[in-house]
Amino acid sequence: MKQIKLIICILVPLILLVLPASAYSLPGLTIIEQRVIAIFVFAALSWILEPIPIYATSLAIILLELILLSDKALVFLRSDSEMYGSQIAYENILHTFASPIIILFLGGFFLAMAATKYRLDVNLARVLLSPFGSNPRYVMLGVMIITAVFSMFMSNTATTAMMLSILTPVLAMMKEEDKGRIGLLLSVPVAANIGGIGTPIGTPPNAVALKYLTGDHYISFGKWMSFAVPYVVVLMGIAWLILIYSFPSGQRKLKLEVKGHFMRNRRAYVVYATFILTILLWLTDFLHGMNSYVVAMIPVTVFSVSGIITKADLRSISWDVLWLVSGGIALGLALDETGLANRLISRIDFDLMSPLVIIGAASVTAALMANFMSNTATANLLLPLMAVVGTTAGSLAGLGGSTMIILVTAIACSMGMSLPISTPPNALAFGTGMITTKQMAKPGVITAVIGLALSYVLIGILYLTGFFT
Amino acid sequence: MDKLYVLCVDDQPEVLNALENDLSDFENYLLIEVCDSGNEVLELMEQIDTEGDYTAIVIADQVMPGMTGVEVLTRIENDPRFSAVRKILLTGLATHQDTIQAINSAGLDHYIQKPWTREILNKTISKCLTEFVLDKGIEYEDLLPVLDQPVLYEALRKKG
Repeated sequence: MKQIKLIICILVPLILLVLPASAYSLPGLTIIEQRVIAIFVFAALSWILEPIPIYATSLAIILLELILLSDKALVFLRSDSEMYGSQIAYENILHTFASPIIILFLGGFFLAMAATKYRLDVNLARVLLSPFGSNPRYVMLGVMIITAVFSMFMSNTATTAMMLSILTPVLAMMKEEDKGRIGLLLSVPVAANIGGIGTPIGTPPNAVALKYLTGDHYISFGKWMSFAVPYVVVLMGIAWLILIYSFPSGQRKLKLEVKGHFMRNRRAYVVYATFILTILLWLTDFLHGMNSYVVAMIPVTVFSVSGIITKADLRSISWDVLWLVSGGIALGLALDETGLANRLISRIDFDLMSPLVIIGAASVTAALMANFMSNTATANLLLPLMAVVGTTAGSLAGLGGSTMIILVTAIACSMGMSLPISTPPNALAFGTGMITTKQMAKPGVITAVIGLALSYVLIGILYLTGFFT
Repeated sequence: MDKLYVLCVDDQPEVLNALENDLSDFENYLLIEVCDSGNEVLELMEQIDTEGDYTAIVIADQVMPGMTGVEVLTRIENDPRFSAVRKILLTGLATHQDTIQAINSAGLDHYIQKPWTREILNKTISKCLTEFVLDKGIEYEDLLPVLDQPVLYEALRKKG
């Protein structure tokens, strides 16, 4: 099965490579642009069929771009012909590994690693849970709020793992026939998936979106949170209601116990102070002029200098996540720098389509794809295309243009949360063996549909308040 | 995917039968092999290693003709190739001295008293398997249903 998938992923792009340029109804298509199409199709197929790990696909994209598109391409693949097209500087392709967006994510990783190492996450959870009392409904609300807040700064997977370990003893005590147990267990992945939308570093699709929000479309860390956090709050409130009504608890009282105390030593204080400082600096770029990418280097440096993150910790960084994003950036770069994006823009007329149809089609496609494949890979594939659509479709221009369509699509990428395979948090919750696929799918689908509708409301409000102008 | 093996060694066939039966929950995720002597299990480990697969767990009885369980486990402990293998002693007849040796020389991970219960055996295997998978950096996603949740959660949390 895996072999067949791999063959498809190699054969189809090969056919696209050897087809005569006239087979594509894109007049003036250069050889290089045709190669970009083949690379893009390779990326799409192998992210969807997954014959190789998804980060490996990203690396393959970057290698293929270097060999086929760069100014240091394999010599007999280059040509002086007019139809060869514009090559990409090889440095630009390699720079995607250290793109500012990757550094921003690395900063987030350092914050999260230091916080977990010094148990800031567990201790904060303990303090934040206590005001929610022992009524199962409000305990669930507390669990969801904490999960969502943490997943804005930690990975959704690590947050889910932490919260599930807090819930494990309680879940074990609850009766098997008590529906509330299913609800409580589901509340964690649901909140983690939604919470990731809250900040640019909350989940990789947001970071990929930032790649297309530069120049005139630049969105700062604080600006992103100013609309994303309210969106998360509303959607999570709705998800909470869905869960408490779908899975009412028979339990009168529920007490979550988290053991521990805040660490009090020099290094722990450095962690607390750096955490607070970094977030404050991210939110106040308009005061000090350092953008979020520059600020991200502060935790990386402080934690390395102070020995809080050691060489061994460095090795455990999720390079796969960073490289997956790099591949997405490289894909966008190829589309842009070879001129293929412009050719598509001049060729395809989206003006005839109603802007609402474009918005709906983009976000529904993203949400559907993200249910069956990685959210990040979905963003990697769709966002560069949406950037093209956003600049082409004149009808969108009045509604916020590419910024708007990029945001809607990025949010939709986080709506893939109805199946155990949709996201790692879902897989972890499903792995407890306490829930069925159906029990996970129902609230997942309802939340996603409402989430999409809310994202349309959100851009409507942003449009009316002049956010896009 | 790489194959993961659980090897059981005991000189009594009925014990091996019972073990195989009690480990049936893991059948879809692991390969369970039984051996009737220490030499056989060491040979099998060599073979698995040559094929590039993993011995994840060895469950050994203490009192056997030839090598004792502790002797087998000590040999495994002293082989750098097998440093991540989880070692379980399953016995009703270990002396105080055997137990001390098992902990000090054989790096024992778990001691199960005979007669065992299915529940305790499964829990132990699941915990040992999770530790092995995390130690070796094997992809855990496909094994999720048989892994020990708290151990996995802690490892994932630490990744931030």
